[in-house]
Amino acid sequence: MENNEIKYELKEFKLFEPLFKWARKKSLWIVAFCTGCGGIEMPPLATARYDFERFGIMPNPAPRMADLFLITGYVTPKTLKRIIITYEMMQDPKYVLIHGSCPINGGVYWDSYNVVKQLDKYIPVDVAIAGCMPRPESVMEGILTIIRKIEEGTADGWKRYKENYEYYRKNQDELFGEGWREKDAKRWLAWL
Amino acid sequence: MERKRCKEVVGMALEEKIIEEIIQKAPYVEGNVRRAKRIDLKVPADRIKEFLELIKKEGFNMLIQISIVDWIKEKEFEAIYQMWSVDKKVHAFVRTRIPRDDAKLPSMRDIFPVAETYEREAHEFFGIIFEGNPRLGPFILEPREYEKHPFRKDFNMLGYVKAVYGEDFDRYDENKTNYVI
Repeated sequence: MENNEIKYELKEFKLFEPLFKWARKKSLWIVAFCTGCGGIEMPPLATARYDFERFGIMPNPAPRMADLFLITGYVTPKTLKRIIITYEMMQDPKYVLIHGSCPINGGVYWDSYNVVKQLDKYIPVDVAIAGCMPRPESVMEGILTIIRKIEEGTADGWKRYKENYEYYRKNQDELFGEGWREKDAKRWLAWL
Repeated sequence: MERKRCKEVVGMALEEKIIEEIIQKAPYVEGNVRRAKRIDLKVPADRIKEFLELIKKEGFNMLIQISIVDWIKEKEFEAIYQMWSVDKKVHAFVRTRIPRDDAKLPSMRDIFPVAETYEREAHEFFGIIFEGNPRLGPFILEPREYEKHPFRKDFNMLGYVKAVYGEDFDRYDENKTNYVI
């Protein structure tokens, strides 16, 4: 029984857990991976008016160093493959914030043959911001929500991904067909 | 009187002159002026290649786009080659119609190299075969979508979406009888 349980932190570090949470919420680095139209909403957030760097948020090109994954618009199956691989490359703990109506339920692309309707089925989502497009104020509100959730310990998407990996894997395989990792992802990431 | 002056002001005379010159060299073409700086030319499908060669010599030396229209009731595809003349600053639509089943067109790759990409796109979305283009095949879409040619009017979009992404997001009215958007 105990062997099957997934352990997220060392017992010896339990004492420092509040410190870690404080540190995590104050240093969210985001993967510079923009899909759809929301990528263009990032510059107002990053520049002087809203300036997300005051929260310790920094855009970063490398998924290995990132904590926060912003999905900023509609997701096509081809992009979703890259998103899943990038998400799996990120180190724990990792948080996902989706942005706009399209990843939530398809938005205006609800009947499109090439847009993923519900991103929640393929990777876990911590915070979703509705709107088409959300204003920078609402994106800031979403970021504050994720900071609050990290503080409370309820931003647990990365734990859910580990615990329900079969469910997510099943949905991914249904969409892309069995063996898509071997077929497609190997072309981009030779070490897989 | 007013219309005539309008024509002079806008400069439609140039377009009419261009059409006259083209028809003299290629009598199988129907042409008309759509508006200033825009002309329509209708060409039979079997002579499209020689016509584009001719029109390139006439000064229309830039192929901007190949767009396809699916006329499902007439069972025809309409291919529109959009040509731009850099010297005269005139935009020409070269239209040709082909039957919907067994849709084939000659490839323009050796006249305009850029046509290769446009033809690949048209092939992927509509299933038209461009004879002489070696790179036809899955291009932008997933292979699963490529087989269905999603821009054809008879592609069952909602059925496909339901089959691939699940049935959670049907948008029915209250009685669950009709789709509403």
